[in-house]
Amino acid sequence: MTVTKRKQFVCLAAGCDQVIEADGDEELIEAVQAHVAEAHDSFELDEFILAGATEVDSEP
Amino acid sequence: MAQVTTSRPEEADNLKKFHFTREMMRGDVYRKYEKAINAIWNPREFDYSRDIEDWPGIPKERREALLGLTVRFFAGEQAVAENLVPMLEAAWALGRFDWLMYLSTFMMEECKHAEFFAQWHERVPRILEPDELAPYFLEREKTVDPTGRFELKEVVHEGLPRYAREVTAAVQTQDRETIERAFLRFLTLYNAHVEGVLTMPSYEIVVDTCTAWDALPALKQGYRRIMSDEGRHITFGTSAVREILTDNPEWEQVVHDVFNEFRGTIVGLVEYQKAVPELDLQKYQVGKVRHYRNRCREMGVTADDTLIEEILDPSIDFVVGVTAG
Repeated sequence: MTVTKRKQFVCLAAGCDQVIEADGDEELIEAVQAHVAEAHDSFELDEFILAGATEVDSEP
Repeated sequence: MAQVTTSRPEEADNLKKFHFTREMMRGDVYRKYEKAINAIWNPREFDYSRDIEDWPGIPKERREALLGLTVRFFAGEQAVAENLVPMLEAAWALGRFDWLMYLSTFMMEECKHAEFFAQWHERVPRILEPDELAPYFLEREKTVDPTGRFELKEVVHEGLPRYAREVTAAVQTQDRETIERAFLRFLTLYNAHVEGVLTMPSYEIVVDTCTAWDALPALKQGYRRIMSDEGRHITFGTSAVREILTDNPEWEQVVHDVFNEFRGTIVGLVEYQKAVPELDLQKYQVGKVRHYRNRCREMGVTADDTLIEEILDPSIDFVVGVTAG
């Protein structure tokens, strides 16, 4: 079984803690920004997303 | 990192003259430097014509309220540019050429942010000289918390210069631990507290205000460009804090002590939140918590839950900043 790496970011807005995953940095930035805009009427800067992201294993 | 050894002393001396390594160029700080170089923008290329047209149509009390914020940003950008000098000193003293390279872009950007405010204030409200700007400056230390629980301090214009002097004094000692500890305090105050938590909702307030008024697009554009630069500045600082704490985990309390010294400034509402009726006050307090938790994650420290509760407590609603004079 091939284990690939995905990027993960946990939204730290109060009471949220939504886990967002994507295949790469660009996709993660897009997904997090969409979540923060929709759920919190706000925005997260690219650098904050990259700095808070971690790599996680994924089984395709 | 590959170690190069040589038996000839003069060759060993020459090795010290070169700071570039492949590892450094693959590193995160170098990536920020590259990004900053590729993202250079020029405030003189903005189109200010719509802002000039919009300005007289905005009611006087709203114009004055907005100037309370933009003038404070104008002064603040100049203050942070000046207080970058000790960061360069510390990077040099700690032998971090990658930090020095990145900080060269950081300083240019802070000066450019100040220039943006100079351009906007000169062209739109037509104020630029110190005596034209000073009447709009909001003095935070005049704020009183009615509950008496929090002391309000002037973090940008008193705290930062004081912490900066500590770094300069530490560099003079040539003691690595003393320099790292002073630098840790300074990075925490400058990048995590001021840039990373306190200021972030203020940027959003200006952007939201321009959107709500459907006015001042150049001001909005400038704030968006500045914020993008600030994202690099903030995460440079928080990653440097994490690096220092990795070697000195017992210093985590130093980070909390810095936040505690200026706790009231973060707990109170930002001055402009109550000046624009269209704005949702709680949104910016909730946002402040998100930024605080993000900064703690980036620095590798445990967030202070009591501070979070205080930021979100609706009964703590004193407004930081009052009109000067």
